[in-house]
Amino acid sequence: MKTKAYLMIKMERENGGDGHRSAIKELEAMPEVEVVASVSGEYDLVGVAMVDTPKGVAGVANKIQAKEWVKSLHVLRVEPAAPNPFLDEVCSTPGGESIRWCAQCGMCSASCPNVAQMDYSPRKIIALVRAGRRYDILTSNTMWICASCYLCTVRCPKDVKITELMHALERLSTRHGLSYGRATPAMYRAFIDSIKNNGRVHELGMMTRFYLLTLSTGKMNPLATIKMLPLALKLLLRGRMSIMPTKIKGSKQLKTIVERAQALGGAR
Amino acid sequence: MKYYSYFPGCSSSEGTAVAYGLSTQAIASALGMELIELEDWNCCGSTPYGSTEELEAACVAARDLALAEKTGLDLVTPCSSCYTTLNKVNSQLKEYPDLKAKVDECLAAAGLKYQGEVKVRHLFEVIYNDIGLDVVKSKVVNPLRGLRVAPYYGCQLVRPEPGFDNPWNPQSIDHLIVTLGAEPVPYPLKDRCCGGSLVIPELDLALGLIHKLLESAASNGAQCIVTVCPLCQTNLDAYQDMVNRKFRTKYNLPVLFFTQLIGLALGVEPKALALDKAIVSAEAVLSPYTKVAEPAVQTRGGVTYG
Repeated sequence: MKTKAYLMIKMERENGGDGHRSAIKELEAMPEVEVVASVSGEYDLVGVAMVDTPKGVAGVANKIQAKEWVKSLHVLRVEPAAPNPFLDEVCSTPGGESIRWCAQCGMCSASCPNVAQMDYSPRKIIALVRAGRRYDILTSNTMWICASCYLCTVRCPKDVKITELMHALERLSTRHGLSYGRATPAMYRAFIDSIKNNGRVHELGMMTRFYLLTLSTGKMNPLATIKMLPLALKLLLRGRMSIMPTKIKGSKQLKTIVERAQALGGAR
Repeated sequence: MKYYSYFPGCSSSEGTAVAYGLSTQAIASALGMELIELEDWNCCGSTPYGSTEELEAACVAARDLALAEKTGLDLVTPCSSCYTTLNKVNSQLKEYPDLKAKVDECLAAAGLKYQGEVKVRHLFEVIYNDIGLDVVKSKVVNPLRGLRVAPYYGCQLVRPEPGFDNPWNPQSIDHLIVTLGAEPVPYPLKDRCCGGSLVIPELDLALGLIHKLLESAASNGAQCIVTVCPLCQTNLDAYQDMVNRKFRTKYNLPVLFFTQLIGLALGVEPKALALDKAIVSAEAVLSPYTKVAEPAVQTRGGVTYG
């Protein structure tokens, strides 16, 4: 089991301003260091390091103490780190690894157009992943109402790829069968089926399949479906919906590619 | 003449944004672009595939990239979602060698190979950077003087990667509008989300977002909205009526593709620009600009003469 150590790092007093910032960066760049936080009102820092054995703490402490701007270093606390397989699972997916350096500033939640309707805000979702609350997260609505607008991603001061994280959580929720009862995964299903059948998305077919999927499982109110008919008719009349799908010539080739991907069992 | 491999995407080829594809073809040669449709392209997978199964999604997009690589040309798409998806897979294949190895294996099973050389570009960016607004300006025969246009950037043209425009305060569509002789309307929500494909499963949520956008553009005096994304156009245009009923509003804002706006200023006949496909008619707003005595460029069936 891994060991977690909390270190109090006192800095030389003349090392304020830029020196303080570069010290944080320097510590964060160390592979063992998980999080660095400033101690309010002081130039001092608290670092959390993750090492394989309790003996490893000394190694990390010596490495930090060797830096010229460190006045003194105290090990505040050493404890066994609870394993967090969910965090590891999220981190192993492209884009997911970035959540390790989230500073919980909340810029993502403040930027999100749909945050008011989410069970947990994007910032909270990251905190919950780190806390290992797998079931709460994967049954929540948060990632399913993320519109992939990427506003959080470009605004994040720590370069956390929040939108990619939401996509990763959608995949995990689907894979573990925890997305049941939601409409967005049904739309995704209909969309992907259309690609698999024709190579391209046939919008009319996709919409029809979506409504059939959701009506048959009671995810959507039949009245809501009827409300969409006038819109579909308007689009049809203006030639904006083709009645028949277009099948690509290489649909067999595409099928071969997708089947091989399935045989490989996903990206990991 | 500049040559490109062209990826229309599902909705612009024959779906809800067919007017985008038609108007793109109608202005391409006038601007000195030869758009050669990528042979037998498939759907890029978009957000739904990537959010369901990541390896399959990467492979589906990689087929398009592999096909495009054979042409040796930049791959140009008018769709912001195709642009983001193909770009994302392209950079993931560079960043994650494990993923690349698996994608290579899947492509090889179908006799394809992708080396990572394709450059994926948005049609708007190509016109903005490669053709240049100076050239566009030199072709304007019908300046849209006095037309107040709200530039709508949407999400995936300028995000997630900081690319050709500022992701926090994009300006490029504003510049295009000025080039065409019209007046860009400043409004705060110009790069906010319309809900995208969430309009299907989460209608009420999306209607709220669309309402805010329409309100922001209309209250700042826009006569019409111009967009660079097929999803944005469909949401703002086709769902405008639903917004009006839900929020008891009376918006009547036509939503044009930027290619249609360019076409008008270039004197392309309105029929070729497929303006009649819109649900909120642009006829009243555009009537001062559609009656050109002698169009400099006549377009029939996507082929340009003159």
